[in-house]
Amino acid sequence: MTAVSRDEQRSNTSVSSPPSDAPGPMDWVEALTGGGPEQSAALRELHTLMLRAAAHQVWRMRPALPDPSPSAVDVIVNQAADEAMTALLAKLHTFEGRSRFTTWAFKFAILQAATEVRRLQWQHREVELRDLDVPSAPRHEDPELYAEGNDLAAAVAAAMRGVLTPYQRRIAIALLVDGIPIDVLADRLGTNRGALYKTLHDLRVRLRAELTANGYLPVHPANPPDPAPSDARSRISPTPTAGTP
Amino acid sequence: MSTTPRPDSAALTPRNVSALLQDTTPWLSCDECFERMDSYAEALVHDPTYRDEAMAAHLRGCAACDEEAESLMRLLDGR
Ligand SMILES: [Zn+2]
Repeated sequence: MTAVSRDEQRSNTSVSSPPSDAPGPMDWVEALTGGGPEQSAALRELHTLMLRAAAHQVWRMRPALPDPSPSAVDVIVNQAADEAMTALLAKLHTFEGRSRFTTWAFKFAILQAATEVRRLQWQHREVELRDLDVPSAPRHEDPELYAEGNDLAAAVAAAMRGVLTPYQRRIAIALLVDGIPIDVLADRLGTNRGALYKTLHDLRVRLRAELTANGYLPVHPANPPDPAPSDARSRISPTPTAGTP
Repeated sequence: MSTTPRPDSAALTPRNVSALLQDTTPWLSCDECFERMDSYAEALVHDPTYRDEAMAAHLRGCAACDEEAESLMRLLDGR
């Protein structure tokens, strides 16, 4: 039994069978660190997994690519798989077996590929950090949606002005209004996804507290699965933020 | 003469407002989200009723992590 096939037996999910050059009966971490021909085989097998997950991710986001041709996709997939493999091997000691190794490996390739597609998507676009008063480029939104949400939108704009710092407002607008992907913005600002998400979380907490104090949000909010259509003040739905690839 | 800037509420669509007011508590960082993403995806693919409130809150509020978690689940699920 190979490292992959043993890994497969730990779960009922439907990830396909291992490639034919699978290493011998040892677990993945052992195989990848043990040296000799088994390590080489395990590394080849891991690379195949990374290519598969990277290809899955790049094809998912392919419409966002400036050049979506199969040959361009292939280049991105290979590069993402290589970089993800390096990232994974550096973190191999942290694998605790809470999931199958293959699932754990896939997430590295998915992250790398998604980040690379977003980078390419914005490669030649300027990233602007604007405040609330600076108009954005024209959008293509339904004007009726504007009218319906206007009362709450005005309250949110006032709260942004009142309780957020200029930096928080600019980050909020860049990520949630202008739809700049978080990795792209992080890269341009010389920071990282985690730091920007922390800023986003903190400003959302401030905005929610202000809107709750002003009666626009319930005091003990749940996260409703759907917006309540009868009341514009409660149209807070768990939709993904702008900037979804 | 100067004019006082007015809140540009017309620039905020309901989608923007939803995103700005998203409840992202309990707090979970992007790094912790990445750490838990594999076991979360497996659990959810195996049992669609599985709940991890901190992960769910993070994914509602972080478009990039959400895309990656969704993609991982689809890969596991063979979709
Ligand atoms: Zn995140």
